[in-house]
Amino acid sequence: MTAAARSRQLAYWLTPPLVCLLVHWWCFQAWFRADDFAWLGLANTVHSSHDLLRALFAPEAQGTIRPWSERGFFMAGRALFGLDSLPYRLVIFATAFADLTLVAAIGRRLSGRPAAGFWAAILWTVNSTASEPLGWACVYNEVMCGLFLLLALYCLLRYIETGKPRWYVWQWVVFLLGFGALELNLVYPLLAAGYAALCARKHLARTLAMAPVSLAYFLVHTAVAPPPASGDYAMHYGGPMLHSLQVFWAWSVGPTYMETPLGWPKSDLRLGVTLITLALGWFLWRKVRERRYAALFPIVWYLVVIAPVLPLSRHLTEYYPFLPAIGLCWLGGWAFAEAWGKGGGARIVRRIAATALSVLYGVMVLPQTLKADEWNYELTERARHLVESLAGAHARHPGKAIMLSGVDGPLFWNAIRDRSYVLIGLDHLYLPPGSEKLAGTDASWNGVGDFALAGAATAHALAHEELEVYDVRGPRLRNITSLFAAMPLDRSLPLRLEGGDPLADDFFGPEWYPIDGNHRWMPKWATLRIGGPAQAGQHLYLHGYCTEQQLRAGPLEVTAFVDGSTLPVSQVTTGEFELMLPLPDADAGKAELHVALGVSRTARPPGDPRELGLAFGQIAVR
Amino acid sequence: MTVSSLRVLLIVALAFAPLSCKRAKTVHVEQTEEEGPRLASVVHVSDPKVEPQLISGFYAIEGNAWRWTAKQFSVVLRVPTGAAQRGATLDLALTVPQVTIDKLKTISLSASADGHPLPPETYTQTGQFDYKRDLAPGTLANSSVRLEFQLDKAMAPGNGDLRELGVIVRSIGLDAK
Repeated sequence: MTAAARSRQLAYWLTPPLVCLLVHWWCFQAWFRADDFAWLGLANTVHSSHDLLRALFAPEAQGTIRPWSERGFFMAGRALFGLDSLPYRLVIFATAFADLTLVAAIGRRLSGRPAAGFWAAILWTVNSTASEPLGWACVYNEVMCGLFLLLALYCLLRYIETGKPRWYVWQWVVFLLGFGALELNLVYPLLAAGYAALCARKHLARTLAMAPVSLAYFLVHTAVAPPPASGDYAMHYGGPMLHSLQVFWAWSVGPTYMETPLGWPKSDLRLGVTLITLALGWFLWRKVRERRYAALFPIVWYLVVIAPVLPLSRHLTEYYPFLPAIGLCWLGGWAFAEAWGKGGGARIVRRIAATALSVLYGVMVLPQTLKADEWNYELTERARHLVESLAGAHARHPGKAIMLSGVDGPLFWNAIRDRSYVLIGLDHLYLPPGSEKLAGTDASWNGVGDFALAGAATAHALAHEELEVYDVRGPRLRNITSLFAAMPLDRSLPLRLEGGDPLADDFFGPEWYPIDGNHRWMPKWATLRIGGPAQAGQHLYLHGYCTEQQLRAGPLEVTAFVDGSTLPVSQVTTGEFELMLPLPDADAGKAELHVALGVSRTARPPGDPRELGLAFGQIAVR
Repeated sequence: MTVSSLRVLLIVALAFAPLSCKRAKTVHVEQTEEEGPRLASVVHVSDPKVEPQLISGFYAIEGNAWRWTAKQFSVVLRVPTGAAQRGATLDLALTVPQVTIDKLKTISLSASADGHPLPPETYTQTGQFDYKRDLAPGTLANSSVRLEFQLDKAMAPGNGDLRELGVIVRSIGLDAK
């Protein structure tokens, strides 16, 4: 190979990753936000090999099991690098570079044109669906899943090309490992079968051999982590799926959310998407007429890879078309390379049309990509500033609780909700009384009720110098404890007591044992004070635990008295329990309830001098 | 993809590795501002330090000097020394801008101090005004007082501005008699 050829080859493989780094430079610099903190905090729950296995493989958020791309990625990263985001970014971008390399390698094989693979990789890396997978660490699963799908397909292509069994074996290995990245991996047998049916029919049977694995995975996964029947992640089949497909298609060939910082009206963007769609359709029709059925594979890829998320019609997320879009980029890259290639008629017209459409695509998606990347970066910087400032506040006031004033929705969602502060050794973080009223005003505030400290608890903590209040508005966290203490406070009692919350001590009677992690034990009887229900028909909610020793003699009976009235006796039959005891209607509107809780049987575990009744994680009026 | 290409990619990836290995494992600690403000009896709304006293209905600082309010807005002020015995004067420095008069013709402002209502004022012209009201000693028994302001009308969101706009406020204060 000559030096010039070698340079060309080097440029061929290195240009897409360099473009990726250049375009997504904001992503490369991004820190952590939102769900990232929940995954980073997973390492805190691991104290034994059993914990490690549970942390790696137990179904988590929405029933997902992603040991390599989420659990392992974050736990290993946290153990090795703490909260330094650079190593995480290096892994994410290294994987993305591998994806781009494989997109190019497969694209050139599908079309028989090296330039087609190159342009497919370029088209994909500027796509605005790439912003979150590259900029939000918890969406790394998409990037990693892409690696497994593309690598398995590359192995299949090499096997078909060379006939060497090792490529077939590697395909199997990669396919099986891919289940640890993302559930989406189960579509791979369909992709392989689709390719074989279109381009290498004699291998079809061998590709179908993988289908039972996917089917078994699907059945086991559904049994272990059934899909939610309601809420954002509920599956909606039929008509809504067509709507999802229409939306995702538009986000694949145009900008996500059909928005652009250029201020183009949606009608113009729809026109742009339609033009590109027609052009791809025309190119595809031509290839089919030429019996180049490989051109159908990008469409197979798109439909197969997007299919599993189509029923999530109430959770149309911008990164869902990230991997499906590879198919359209292969087709687009092929069309562009062919227009600029040798041969065929009307060469100038073809070149002008292909260039115009590519420029249209770039102008539609690139500004949105850059804007989304920067938006994500800014959010991560806000999260970083808060977490690092909290570390400063915690170091200055060790042992004291911290409350934040002036938090807005995006800051709550991205820096507080997933308990980022646990990562710097702060067990509790509070928001001012009344913050719970923000729940439901905006999706960003979901879960805010868990952080709002009741007025009575705030006043008690301020009076006993157990709480420091910081204002988050401004370039630095500002201590406003004195000012806050001088403000009039609603002194209402909490409607929810967390067993592990030290600021709730005042509401638990003297019978309770000291806090034990995230709960506290009571002996046979214990008392507490809690806010009364606003209206009739509410319940006393109890979430707690008992020992196995207590259950050996049968179910436990839990008795509750509220202001002298006896609530229905409930039974506990499992180590962890939840009870909903109906409160008397007469309690509605009371500012304070005096509650006494009793359990029928106690236990004395070996080596523990305490007589243990029940442990409570949460007691609430709801 | 050839073996040499893979080798090049591997070298590029490894080149980044030392960057990560030399980084500290602990989180960077940012300093906080510990000399926080005290509750003030006069707040200039352009001062970010008094923001915690602006309880509701105030938008962002504009022109380093003022803020738009919503139809309702509230503030907490420290009761100045001696006010609990002799009473105090509430002074709300506000501007009724031309756009408000153009759209709403008139605008009335009423207020209450810890639930005690204060006489309203109606503005029919654009300009700068002081809404001044006497507060009786009985309303100032605590160390702080919550002042609630209510406009009878406000400009609805429009022209790309999602805010409901009332009047422009520069400062709110209590002056002991």
